[in-house]
Amino acid sequence: MLTLQMTLLSTAMSCVIGIPLGLLLDKARFPGKRIVVLINRTLMAAPPVVIGLVVYLILMRNGPLGFLGWLFTFEAMVLAQTILITPIICGIVYTASQRSASNIRAFAITMGASRLQTQFLLIKELSNEIYFAAIVGFGRAMSEVGAIMIVGGNIRYHTRVMTTTIALLRNRGEINQAIFLGAVLMIIALIIQVIGGFLKRREERTDENI
Amino acid sequence: MKISNIKKEYDKFALNIKSLEITNSVQNTIVGATSCCPNNEQHNIYGIIGANGCGKTTLMKIMAGIIKPDRGTIDNEGLTSRDITMIFRKPYLLHDTVLKNLLYPLKIRNIKPDNNEIEMLLNMAGLENLTNKYALTLSGGEQQKLAMIRAFIFKPKLAFIDEGFSNMDIESVALFEQYIQKTKDTTWVLISHQISAIKRICTNIFFMSKGEIKAKGETIELLNNPQIKELKEYLQYM
Repeated sequence: MLTLQMTLLSTAMSCVIGIPLGLLLDKARFPGKRIVVLINRTLMAAPPVVIGLVVYLILMRNGPLGFLGWLFTFEAMVLAQTILITPIICGIVYTASQRSASNIRAFAITMGASRLQTQFLLIKELSNEIYFAAIVGFGRAMSEVGAIMIVGGNIRYHTRVMTTTIALLRNRGEINQAIFLGAVLMIIALIIQVIGGFLKRREERTDENI
Repeated sequence: MKISNIKKEYDKFALNIKSLEITNSVQNTIVGATSCCPNNEQHNIYGIIGANGCGKTTLMKIMAGIIKPDRGTIDNEGLTSRDITMIFRKPYLLHDTVLKNLLYPLKIRNIKPDNNEIEMLLNMAGLENLTNKYALTLSGGEQQKLAMIRAFIFKPKLAFIDEGFSNMDIESVALFEQYIQKTKDTTWVLISHQISAIKRICTNIFFMSKGEIKAKGETIELLNNPQIKELKEYLQYM
C-alpha cells in the first residue's frame, strides 16, 4: 500500500509540474534554451542514488530544508521520486510537443480558439504522448530503490516499500520471498496499465496515408 | 485587410511585400472596378501564384496570423481572429471522429449546430456516411474535404486556402469551387499551381517571385497578357 501511495503521489506531482513545463519548453524561445534542454536530458538519465544523495543533503538536520523534519519519512521519498521523474515526464512531453504542438497551435489559430482553448486542445491532442510520459514516470517511480533507500532509510512500517523490501530480502538470502514480492509488483503494474487503458479511451488508429 | 512593408526572413529568400490589399467588393479593388467574375458575382476571389519556394505560403500564414512578420503592419480592418481561417495543404485533423472535427469550430464558439447545414456540407464532401469514422483514417482527399467544410461551417469573413484541392477528385473540386463562388460574405484567397482553376474562379491574382509580389491584377488580363518576364517564364508550361 505504501508503495502504491508513494508511486501515485510522486507521479501525480511530477505530471502537474512536468507536463506544463514540457509544453512551455517547446513553445518558449529564449537565449540558453539549448542549455536548458541539455540539463533536462541530463536529469532524465541522472543516477537515482545521486538524486537521493542531493535530497538527503537538503533535508538533513543542518540542510536548507532540515527544519521540515522530513528525512527518513514518506514525504522525503515522495520528494526524491518527484525530483527524479519530473525531468523524464518533461522531456517526453517536450519531444512530443516538438513534433506536433506547432501544427496544433496553428490549427487552433485558424479555428479562432482562445489561449485557454488552445491549451486544452494541446493537452487533448497530445494525450497519448502525455499518457505515455505518465506511464514511464510511474514505472520509474515504482521500480525505484536507490534514492528512496537513502532518504527513506528503509524503516519497517514507515518507509519500507516493496522495492526496498526485495533488496533487503535478497541481502538476507530470502530469495523466494523476494521473487514473490517481485511478482506482486509486476501484477500491480499490469493492473494500473489496464485501468489506465480504460481511462484513456482514445482509440489507437494508424494514419492510412503513411 | 491591408498589409504594408512586410518583411520576413525564411528559407531561400526574404519575404518583402510593400503593400497588398484584400477586399471583398469588386468595386473597391485596387486594380479597378471591372468585374471578371463568372455570372457577375460581385465579390473578390484572390489567387496567389508563383514557383515553389517563392513565399506564397509564408505570406498566407502571415496574413492568417499564424506567423508574425519580422517587420511591417497588418491592418485587419476590424476582423478578429475568429473571422479569419486558413486551410493547409496537409490539414491538421483532430484525433477524433469526422463529425467531431466538423463541429469543433462551432463548439469553441458556443454555436449550436444547424443540422441542415451539417448535412449539406457532409453531402458536398461525400462524408455523410463517415461521420463516426476516425478522421485520421480518411484518405488524403477526404481529409482535405473535411478540412474545407470545417472551415466553411463557421462562415469566416476571410479564408485562405493553401492548395486545398490538391488531393481532391474533379467532381469534388467542381463542387467546392461552386461553393466558394457562391459564398459572397467570405473573401477567399487561394494558392494553387492549377492555373486552370485560378482562371476559373479567381477575380484577381498576385504573382510572386523570390519573396516579392511582381505582378498583381485581374486574372484574365494578367494571365492572357503577362507583361513581366518572370510571369511569362512561369506561364510557359501552362
